[in-house]
Amino acid sequence: MRWNEPAPGEHEAGDRSWEVVSAAFEERLPAQRRRDWRPFVLAAAIAAVIAAALSPPGHAVFGSLRDAVRGERNARPALFSLPSPHSRLLVNSAEGAWVIQSDGSKRLLDGYREASWSPHGLYLAAIHGDELRALEPNGDVHWSIGRPGLAGPTWSNEGTGDERVAYLAGSTLRVIGGDGRGDRLLARNVAHVVPAWRRGAHVLAYVDGAGRVVVRDADTGAVQWRSVAQQPPQALEWSGDGHYLLARGPSSITVFGDRGKQRLTPLGPGAAPVADAAFMPSSSALAFVQRAPGRSILWFYSQLRPEGTAARRVFAGAGTFDRVAWSPEGRWLVLSWPSADQWLFIRSASVRKVIPVSGIEDAFGPAAIPAGWCCP
Amino acid sequence: MAARRGDERAWIRGAQQGSVSDLEALFRHHWPKAYRAAYLVVHDSGAAEDIAQEAFLAAVRGLDRFDRRRPFGPWLHRIVVNRAIDWSRARALRRESGNAALELVAAPAAPDNPHAQTLAAALAGLSPEHRAVIVLRHLLEYTPGEIAEVLGLPRGTVNSRLRRGLDELAARFGEELE
Repeated sequence: MRWNEPAPGEHEAGDRSWEVVSAAFEERLPAQRRRDWRPFVLAAAIAAVIAAALSPPGHAVFGSLRDAVRGERNARPALFSLPSPHSRLLVNSAEGAWVIQSDGSKRLLDGYREASWSPHGLYLAAIHGDELRALEPNGDVHWSIGRPGLAGPTWSNEGTGDERVAYLAGSTLRVIGGDGRGDRLLARNVAHVVPAWRRGAHVLAYVDGAGRVVVRDADTGAVQWRSVAQQPPQALEWSGDGHYLLARGPSSITVFGDRGKQRLTPLGPGAAPVADAAFMPSSSALAFVQRAPGRSILWFYSQLRPEGTAARRVFAGAGTFDRVAWSPEGRWLVLSWPSADQWLFIRSASVRKVIPVSGIEDAFGPAAIPAGWCCP
Repeated sequence: MAARRGDERAWIRGAQQGSVSDLEALFRHHWPKAYRAAYLVVHDSGAAEDIAQEAFLAAVRGLDRFDRRRPFGPWLHRIVVNRAIDWSRARALRRESGNAALELVAAPAAPDNPHAQTLAAALAGLSPEHRAVIVLRHLLEYTPGEIAEVLGLPRGTVNSRLRRGLDELAARFGEELE
């Protein structure tokens, strides 16, 4: 038996933990002045009660609480590495698309917008001017096609090699093969909402011009089902197991199951604005971002239930959160916090660790958002 | 990484006086075994990281009160191993109660080195209590008397757990090596 072999992840965990321990050590030094924290604890407790009262009805808020005012303290000055090893993060910004490797090295794909990953992260689909392009993360373009009014390119995610890319061209929804062949029209008069592929199938969800959710076989064109969400959706996403389709409205979340026959409404239209929502990989657990006046909150639904779903508050802060994305194995969340010029890497929805990173605009340019953390 | 007892005392003294570099020397010296011990008990790299990290955070919080004449390792290992046992028991309870929501947040790490494939795999078949005494004895090299002190157990219990655990381990290794 080799007792002195390193255990899996030992070195990386040591580096991460040293940052946490050293930060705690530095925080501890002024605390030696024996400041009386009791008034602050009382104030924090009162604030938590007020926050609970102001939050959407029916939702638990006394989960793991971390409040901060102008971003988290002890933030890393730049993104030195990704906490999830062997992963890559795609970032869309006003400068272009950035591909960040797990060691922190990054490449700008200058002038690209709305980039998204192929299933195994070998390619990106992105828009450059009036062209939809499929390219490698190093920038080598494999194919391109020109169309007016391009938006929302998305790879199907079955991972078998027989992929499709769906995209919007003006008010039409089109689909093209992953090899750049067979471009065709799938639907006219669609809303400007990025379509969503169901995992493991050439089945596509989109929003039609009337604001209805439509699920359609992209190869045959057959409509599988149509339904209406609480509000006209602004974003769609399938759960990793393909059982649920999420429709995010301006202030609501609707989740469809059982081929549209089941409709769950975990968050109703009376709630505060919902900025983003994302299913945890390989599950129907869900993280979402809400904005209230002057503050934002990241929430987590561990389970969706027809009779009602209690959300756990993961993180709250002053200002604006905009996007949330899961790491490929579901162990980390990345939350973008533009008003603090920070991203937070949050270890699981139970907030076992937070790694704040600042200097996002300097590093990636204005309006930088995490667009996909690749790959399972 | 070998360190003289005097080095450790100097690091603790320096850390108590606010030296980050001394704290780092102490951390780097003790991290591998703390993490490894936690991993071999819990078999989850994320949990092992949390357990070892929390033990060091407890050390930071208690640094001012720490008696420099005492060795740091046993104090740290006591926290690590007891928390690892607690974590393993809690996980077993969660499994029994079928709380899938709690399981969602802790995806298991893929085994990628010999620990995961041989030693840890063989240990995984033992109870957390048996794993703990074996890890304390063979990784951290404590005597049965010291283990009894760390775990708050009678020495006879430690000896019987060691004997039974090693018997089971030998049987499992034998099967795997064939």
